[in-house]
Amino acid sequence: MVDQLPNLGREAEMLSAMGYTSMDDLFSDVPVDVRMQEDLPLRPSQTEEEIIADARRLLGANVPLGSMASFIGAGLYRNHVPAAVFQLVTRGEFLTAYTPYQAEVSQGMLQAMWEFQGLISELVGLPVANLSVYDGSSAAAEAITCAVRVHGRKATQKGVVYVSELVPPDRWSVIHNYTQGGGIELRKLRHLEDGTLDPASVAEAAGACAVYVEQPNPLGLLDASLVGVKDIVGEHTAFIVGVNPVSLGLYEAPGHYGADIVVGEGQPFGSPMTAGGPIYGIFACSNAYMRQMPGRIVGRTIDEDEQTAYCLTLSTREQHIRRHRATSNLCTNETLIALMGAMHMSLLGPEGVRALAVRNAAALHAVVDALQGVSGVELVHPDGHHFNEIAVRLPGTAADCITALEAHGVLPGFDLGRWSDDRADQLLVTATDQTRPEEIERLATAMAAWCAEVVA
Amino acid sequence: MNNLWDHTGAAGAGYAQPAPLVAESELNLATSLLRKEAPRWPRLSEPEMVRHYTNLSRRNFGIDTGFYPLGSCTMKHNPRVNEVIAQMPGICDVHPHQPEHHLQGLLAIFHEMQHMLAVCAGMDEVTLQPVAGAQGEFTAVRCIQEYFRERGEAQRTRIVVPDSAHGTNPASAAMAGFEIVEVPSTEDGRIDLQALEAVLDDTIAAMMITNPNTLGLFETDIAAASELVHGVGGQMYYDGANFNAIIGRTSPGLMGFDAVHYNLHKTFSQPHGGGGPGSGPIGVKAHLAPFLPGPVVDVRDAEAGERTVEAGRWFHWREPEHSIGKVQQWHGNAGAVLRCWAFYRRYGRDLRTMSEHAVLNANYLRHAIHREAKDAGVDHLFVDGARTDVAKHEFTLSMQPAKEALGVTAMDIAKGLLDMGYMAPTVYFPLVVPECLMIEPTETEAKDTLDRFAKDFVAVVGTDPATLHAAPVTTPVRRVDEVYAARNLCLRVPEDDL
Repeated sequence: MVDQLPNLGREAEMLSAMGYTSMDDLFSDVPVDVRMQEDLPLRPSQTEEEIIADARRLLGANVPLGSMASFIGAGLYRNHVPAAVFQLVTRGEFLTAYTPYQAEVSQGMLQAMWEFQGLISELVGLPVANLSVYDGSSAAAEAITCAVRVHGRKATQKGVVYVSELVPPDRWSVIHNYTQGGGIELRKLRHLEDGTLDPASVAEAAGACAVYVEQPNPLGLLDASLVGVKDIVGEHTAFIVGVNPVSLGLYEAPGHYGADIVVGEGQPFGSPMTAGGPIYGIFACSNAYMRQMPGRIVGRTIDEDEQTAYCLTLSTREQHIRRHRATSNLCTNETLIALMGAMHMSLLGPEGVRALAVRNAAALHAVVDALQGVSGVELVHPDGHHFNEIAVRLPGTAADCITALEAHGVLPGFDLGRWSDDRADQLLVTATDQTRPEEIERLATAMAAWCAEVVA
Repeated sequence: MNNLWDHTGAAGAGYAQPAPLVAESELNLATSLLRKEAPRWPRLSEPEMVRHYTNLSRRNFGIDTGFYPLGSCTMKHNPRVNEVIAQMPGICDVHPHQPEHHLQGLLAIFHEMQHMLAVCAGMDEVTLQPVAGAQGEFTAVRCIQEYFRERGEAQRTRIVVPDSAHGTNPASAAMAGFEIVEVPSTEDGRIDLQALEAVLDDTIAAMMITNPNTLGLFETDIAAASELVHGVGGQMYYDGANFNAIIGRTSPGLMGFDAVHYNLHKTFSQPHGGGGPGSGPIGVKAHLAPFLPGPVVDVRDAEAGERTVEAGRWFHWREPEHSIGKVQQWHGNAGAVLRCWAFYRRYGRDLRTMSEHAVLNANYLRHAIHREAKDAGVDHLFVDGARTDVAKHEFTLSMQPAKEALGVTAMDIAKGLLDMGYMAPTVYFPLVVPECLMIEPTETEAKDTLDRFAKDFVAVVGTDPATLHAAPVTTPVRRVDEVYAARNLCLRVPEDDL
């Protein structure tokens, strides 16, 4: 504490300059009946060295994925963030700045965020991107409320939004919390047995305020039928697509096949998994949605000398001006993590992002190859194309499999039974650019041993 | 300066990657979905990229650069050890869905933070899931909403918010589906009990308020306000934006609040990062605890064979009984919570001293500014935003007299301060103070800095209006044209329409 408070030991001098004698004088306005009478029942203070020692001990007791052969993803993906990103993002001028309200001394972050908007916009194929929301889930939820604001009047199914039934329950719950207050009715957009969208269900959604679907879907499946969705639902129904942004290095930008809003978890660009946060949500849209979108946007402008400058713009949508009529309550967002994303993307370039996507696709290909040689393991969607992850059916429960394989130093994936009871025997196996061949071998060997045991 | 697209490297420039595990030609790709045109991203080598962002950082102002008296934002020093800890693999390389026995260290840290935050605020239970103050507000309001639905009091559809409240309060309540009832403040910026009483009935779900309020004043009638709201069956919600002023001296629990959000990026030094990430845990009294988003961390006696991080204690996730569900898909901003844990460890029970110094510095600066202004003969150009003897962690000044006498606005003063090498105070907030400057020095500024700022502030106030209208002149760009930005929207490069 001593090294953090510069005026320790100078209290008397400062108080006397104001005509006070004690710190109590400064709290004389706190009524006696609400004063805390005793010391806080908390531990004593520590020095930096003691804190580091405790942090090492506690965090050292966690099991980092790098210490196992790990195949868990389900929305967060192991990646390699180039060294330059960490070196630059901890510069105090970025790290310790507030929201750029004073544009003249915030040009660095404003320009970096304007560039971020351009990088995301190009990646997803839509003209407008904001400078991040909290995460992929709140991005999906905010996209839905945005769409309802835009289409509320002309939609023939008032207040109705169709959400892919494969959206994981935790994300569904976030969407529910964000939308229930607006009287929005969430209906399930159904998928066929092979994992692709049910065209009959898409047809039912025509005239609703929005449809929300993910590409690849939460089971890693790429669905070519998404290309036709906008034509079916029509111009008064927003087509919202949730993406894994890395996949867009290889696969078509949803903005190029009719998406009105694209959202997603930005994490694979620039951020480690960090136990699920801080990460950042991507939000991009077409011009028709721009004035109803949530969050901050940077515009390029000029200063008094007509030099190029940047500032926050379209602020009249926001809470600090519109209060309860704002498009969102969003204030603090994830700027610094988005900055890490921009840095990572700027180092990759157009060829680099494609190469990264190919590495991810190749790693999954290698995993599928290996698992197909394991007797007892079946692909849930054997005919589908996948990215980053794939659902497999096991001869026992996924929970048992995960427990059993730990002894082999393998975390084989995510237990899909946590999403749905009827998938208790399914495992979501994830591979990324960080997956190594020897890890795949260990997975296959350990899985084969476990399957043999279960079947016997 | 150049933007990223001004770099025109050759195809393939940039970060070099290992070869894929399987050759591309052998992959079974979804051919009908393949991308036809690559994103038009720039191409930079590492040296160009490093220089680009380094130069951008030089055009940005942070606490590390200089004094940052941005009221309501609590821009305190961010201890660097927190960043070192946040890079450890035990947090970076961890997945939130790993089994509990993989995460005992993280769960222990979460549990300690839940406990500390509950103790400081006088609450019974805490969730760390909301990732920003506004999300915390929204979460708490949702818990209150479900609490009333559960009790069969669904008619409580209105929330009371003072006119001086931060914009997120009404925005969060409206997002949850509540109608907003705005109540005026008294002349000195405090709660108007009569006005409050006049709007209270059994349709009121809650009152949202911060204390100290947005003028930096302690709400002396807070207990009476709580009593009034509770009297009609409503809940009291504490906006923790100004929590830095009171830790260890009083608590929302003592004031009668039922729910509170914390801004870890304000009070507990999570760096603000130019706009985020933040972290906005909420604490609640026992009757609201079953509605918290899940899971929260709990502890039980360890069983034989369990590898514990604390002897005999096993940390585990627990789903609250009537949980509203999730507001973030995972467990919130765990990395931010970790940094704030390191910050907490630095103070422990001396968090009270931290708050005392925040208040000491604010009052000292307020006095110094008034004293210097008197000596310089410019004390007629501004007045206190609210009448008070003592402020808490921040205070407001109204430049209305300067505007009337000289045509100098709060914004002019702000821009003049930028030329002196300071971040400007918050301007034009709260809205109830005309030509408002809101100044919050925090506890991490030295007396010498406060003395210097007081002198420089007064020098700016005494500067001729023409110079102030033209300020700033020493910054990377001069006064930025926000109207031009809105009329000539340019939100991206390449500029052509997609």
